[in-house]
Amino acid sequence: MDFSLNEEQRAWQMKARKFALEEIRPVSLARDRIADPRETFDWELFKKGSRLGFRTLAVPKEWGGHGLDFVTQALVMAELAKGDSAISKAFSQCWKWSHLIAAVCTDEQKGRFLKPFLADDTFVLGKGITEPSGGSDNRLPPDDPKAGVKLRGERRGDEWILNGEKAFIANGNIGKLFFLDVRTDPRAPLREGVTLFLVPHDTPGFRVGKVFNKSGWRFYQNAEMIFENARVPHANVVGEVNGAYRKSSGDTSGGDIFGDLELAANALGVCDAACEQALALARTKMQGGKLLKEQQLVQLKINKMHMLTEALRSFVLRVACEHDQKMHSPNAGLAMNFSTDVIQEVTELNMDIHDSAGCMDEGADKLVRDAFIWSHLAGDSVQRMKVARRIIK
Amino acid sequence: MYNLRLSTEQLEFRDTVRDFVVREVKPVALKSGRLEASERQLLTAILDQAAQMGLRTMALGEDSGGAAADLLTCCIVIEELATGDVDVAAVLAETVRLSRIIFVPSTGPAQQYLPLFVADDHCHLAFAGHGDTRLGANYHGRRAAPHATITGSPADNGDLILNGNAEGVRNAPIAKLFAVEAVTDRKREFLLVPADTPGLSVLAQASGLRGHGVVGSVAFADCRVRADQRLDGKLIDIAAEQGGPLDQALNLGIGRAAYEAALDYVPLRVQGGRRIVEHQAIGAKLAEIAVSLEVARAAVWQAAFAADHPEAIADRSLPDLPLAMMAKVFTSGAVYRAAKDAAELFGAMGVMRDMPLQKYVHDALICLHAANGNADDKLRIAEALAGYRRP
Repeated sequence: MDFSLNEEQRAWQMKARKFALEEIRPVSLARDRIADPRETFDWELFKKGSRLGFRTLAVPKEWGGHGLDFVTQALVMAELAKGDSAISKAFSQCWKWSHLIAAVCTDEQKGRFLKPFLADDTFVLGKGITEPSGGSDNRLPPDDPKAGVKLRGERRGDEWILNGEKAFIANGNIGKLFFLDVRTDPRAPLREGVTLFLVPHDTPGFRVGKVFNKSGWRFYQNAEMIFENARVPHANVVGEVNGAYRKSSGDTSGGDIFGDLELAANALGVCDAACEQALALARTKMQGGKLLKEQQLVQLKINKMHMLTEALRSFVLRVACEHDQKMHSPNAGLAMNFSTDVIQEVTELNMDIHDSAGCMDEGADKLVRDAFIWSHLAGDSVQRMKVARRIIK
Repeated sequence: MYNLRLSTEQLEFRDTVRDFVVREVKPVALKSGRLEASERQLLTAILDQAAQMGLRTMALGEDSGGAAADLLTCCIVIEELATGDVDVAAVLAETVRLSRIIFVPSTGPAQQYLPLFVADDHCHLAFAGHGDTRLGANYHGRRAAPHATITGSPADNGDLILNGNAEGVRNAPIAKLFAVEAVTDRKREFLLVPADTPGLSVLAQASGLRGHGVVGSVAFADCRVRADQRLDGKLIDIAAEQGGPLDQALNLGIGRAAYEAALDYVPLRVQGGRRIVEHQAIGAKLAEIAVSLEVARAAVWQAAFAADHPEAIADRSLPDLPLAMMAKVFTSGAVYRAAKDAAELFGAMGVMRDMPLQKYVHDALICLHAANGNADDKLRIAEALAGYRRP
């Protein structure tokens, strides 16, 4: 086993670390404090990151991107997340869907969508799956045709007419291009009745609704997407009609190979930030004439924080390495589930250390709030059962 | 005899307050605009209504205008209130806690302020003492004297001149009477000081990360208090009792609010072809939440009962252990986990600031980190178990 990084991986890691330290960290808490969720996004920061390649690094080289491997992607996500988890996610959300474009779109579609994506520092991608009536139903679809996606698509000649809405959609209010799960056969179960579309933000009949006001991940945008007789050309259908759940996964193993790794790698960066905060306090904070680091209970907490963080790092890099070797297994899902437990325990321990020293800290509080997002994204019972079913079958 | 039955009066208290919370508190408290922790305004009209119902003075003796509610009854009331609004519950919990210490002894210098306290529905109590009481990570450090943040200098006629300040004082911005701990050259003194005393000033602080209710800093600048404003020496427990059964009853109320929200939601939401309560994963999680809250309540009520009935420890019915600290350690952790689990059942709605679940998680986190940290409490419990005192 060789754990060393190659020069390219190390270079990207250092570039991300520098950007996180010099550009993200200084604005992270200020962005977190902004009360209006529509105002938390910082376009100047995002454009700076884009110019350094953090928006497009997953696009294959043959299409003009950096085509970085999964190990590098994991390293960059973790470094950016150490600066701010939500800012890291805003970049990696674009990688997630550029992976999908590369995996399932035709060359004609790649030409039409990847080129403008690469050329424009403000071109953000998203995917609309969840609706007010269903989140879990789309993750673990039952056979009932009434369950899951309700956004309706009906074909009229060379166009599809979309009606309905999506909720909690990442980048929904700032994205320029969206993948969209659309119900095209209402009589069939989800797996056989949903089609994947590519929908530009300026599609007639599409508008953004509410921007959601989350307790954590404040920088990252989630919005309602409303479709009222929105007209999408048939040429924007991705894969086969009614084939979204056969093609959209982006690999042949049935799992979302990037999305699972993404949350685990992001969590790793948050854990690194929590460890750094705790160590900085323990090494400098005096209480009753002693440094915190001399206290047994502080030592035990720091031990546990690092033990969990290093275990997560090993798991994340193993999964990334397996992806690069085209070895797809339930490990990615397990790493994502595990990252929920780790990020929450590590950030809570950091807060414990601050609290026991009488230092209620805004930064420690932010990490706990950011980590809480994992509960419904990565560690809820549906996400765990989904992985278990892959193991069991 | 082993008896877990509540009295008729206790049941009446519970049902009356529960009804008040449903009818009056929740419709106001759960408005989406006030669910953000950083922007919560105290519901003063609700607080006044609660005072008019007698909840502010419930611990006073009947001949003093109260209901002679024991600590267990007060815990029942505070839990019910906290299911509706944790900040109103926190203000009342602090006033009730201090009224039990200051006014329930029917004699002493504090009695001169009793008519004022009873007559004024807006008269809340606060304690301004030495700063952070926690030992926390420094538990095994040298046993230092409490840091003197307020000092008292002797003046003529036995008066004291107070100088200094106290931070993070619960109820400070609305309190009309302050119990003050001052350090003189000889000892710690406890005094009762009206808020309008010259030289006393209060500055409201954002309570966001620090605590529930309203919090402020209290400053004393050549504030002169008379000799007859001195309270009895036994009031030394004022600070030590913070985080006790009343605070844990409040914490339980937060957990119950999260649990009841989940209980209302799981029979309505359909996913996977059936109501989510019918899924094993959800059913088991709901059960775990309920189990942890019931066990926590048993611990809190036992601690309150022990405080009300010291003879139960004397006759060995209850163990002679720091039951209040044990209840706090268990309850604060259990309620935080329960609130997180309840929020998870709501999916993305569990993290939205215009929905209550994220607020319950935040509120429970404050309890987990309030007063003495749990690590500190565990070490104090260890002292009691092993019968040693740290050097």
